[in-house]
Amino acid sequence: MIHRKRRLQKALLYVLLIIVLVGLVFPVLFMAFTSFKTAGEVNRIPPTLWPRYPTLENYPFMARAWDFWLTLRNTLLLAGGSGLGATILGAMAAYAFSRGTFRGRSMMYGLLVASMAVPAMVTLGPIFIAYLQLNLLDTHIGLILVFTAGGMPLATLLLFAYFNAIPRELDDAAAIDGAGRFTTLFRIIIPIAMPGVFVSFLLLFIAGWNEFLFVFTLSTSPDTQVLTTKLYTIPPREADYQSSNLDLVATAGMFVLLPLVPLLMLTQRQLVEGITFGAVQG
Amino acid sequence: MAQARATPRAQSRLQSIFSSRYAVFYVLVLPAFLLRMIYTVIPIIQTVLISFTDRTILGGRYIGLRNYEILVRDSTLIGSLGWTLLYTGTAAVAETVIGLGIAILLMQNLRLRWLSNFIMLLPWVVAPMLAAVAFQILYFEDGGILNAILQELGFGNAAVRWLSDAETARFSTIVMTVWKNVSWVALIFMAAIGSLSKEVLEAAAVDGANALQRFWYVSLPLLKPAIYLVLLLRAMAEVQTFEQIYGLTRGGPGSATKTLALYAFERFFQQLRYGYGSAVNLVLLLVTILIGGIFAWLLYRSREI
Repeated sequence: MIHRKRRLQKALLYVLLIIVLVGLVFPVLFMAFTSFKTAGEVNRIPPTLWPRYPTLENYPFMARAWDFWLTLRNTLLLAGGSGLGATILGAMAAYAFSRGTFRGRSMMYGLLVASMAVPAMVTLGPIFIAYLQLNLLDTHIGLILVFTAGGMPLATLLLFAYFNAIPRELDDAAAIDGAGRFTTLFRIIIPIAMPGVFVSFLLLFIAGWNEFLFVFTLSTSPDTQVLTTKLYTIPPREADYQSSNLDLVATAGMFVLLPLVPLLMLTQRQLVEGITFGAVQG
Repeated sequence: MAQARATPRAQSRLQSIFSSRYAVFYVLVLPAFLLRMIYTVIPIIQTVLISFTDRTILGGRYIGLRNYEILVRDSTLIGSLGWTLLYTGTAAVAETVIGLGIAILLMQNLRLRWLSNFIMLLPWVVAPMLAAVAFQILYFEDGGILNAILQELGFGNAAVRWLSDAETARFSTIVMTVWKNVSWVALIFMAAIGSLSKEVLEAAAVDGANALQRFWYVSLPLLKPAIYLVLLLRAMAEVQTFEQIYGLTRGGPGSATKTLALYAFERFFQQLRYGYGSAVNLVLLLVTILIGGIFAWLLYRSREI
């Protein structure tokens, strides 16, 4: 009797699990299906779930329409550059906060944390005006700086926790050997905290990859457009403005998502670690 | 030379701050700190200053509190503020409740671990703009998949106007946001549940508490700080939502889904009314701080006990 109740319970849990997983994956999965449909099929009523005549033709079409490789290069440059910049600056700050006792320490730490609450929209206007005057609009360096400033508090907090877990005796030993603080940080502490440094870079890279608002307003030409801002300009199907272009919309979406999928598979553990850091200590 | 002329006391104080022992920490911390302040604090000060002007792209002049006088009678702003609060509250609470449920479900030692981990991360890794694209496809009204599924399940053939009806569009944006963030919440709760002390739960079981009682009387109170933390972080993120709503509805139909951030964007970047847009932005900043303050206070209190 108890055995049967257990099994029923277990079955119920699996049903729930499958409902949850299907619900979470369906919007993305259906977008993937839609990207393999033909223009005719996507306009069918009622719609099909699976592509009946799967085709890859949307991919080269959208790649041409988007100037895909240039856009991908811009996205990689922005996400990678700002991820690296924010991680290095964050590591330096985290090390100072972790090891140093200096005037203004807690004030600076507090301001860095508090600044995370500032809505991007509030800062965007003055940044736009300043960039207009400084000729930084539509430049890679201007965008990388915004993103570096945006991601750096997270890197600082994350690495602060990692550095605090490293015994100070290592610093003392390095100091006795004549190493300065910079040498200690870059030669000893960062190599030991490499998993944390990697997690920080990973989170910031993904955040940079996905950001839209800043590039949307601070970039004015295709030379600095990224994948997410391109999502905004999906061409109608040639010579046919009547029918929907959901197949192209879906393909465009896949261009943004697909490069992240292998990354997601390879770094699941690190991502979860990065997402949940701090939640446990609460 | 300036140093030599300074009084001995001031000099020694300067020395203690910038002596090589401390100087290195300033060199380490200042690049990050200054960069961050340049991109947050200075823009806030400028926003305040610009909000007292009628500045447009062509320039402007000081007009005192005029923008704020218009602001308090701006029905679009008041509607937008109400919607922002409704959206923030509904989304943050729904994400927390559903996320906690999913976390508990996934802690039951079920199989499909690798798959469920991967799927859990998927909505999180989806860009807000991309979530808008994915849901635009689902919500498509002339023969979209969601309406077809509802029809298949026997809900008649009344096509739901997911994005073109004001009330439904509001619901649709909240669903999209909850989908996007619920797995993040679940991951946080899984970590929090994992760190609960096993002994307490076992002791409760020995005392004869059933699973539901153990959850309600033991786990839930212990999870209170985590719950408030999640509510804090989610509410502060939701209140400034721009991207996924801009992508899905552009704030429409009408102004039905226009959050404060969308309204500020419209004034500032589309109408190029920098003065008024800045005033709207300050309302957004104020609401964000208020929400953050309330939940931070709740979080603080929950830890004290």
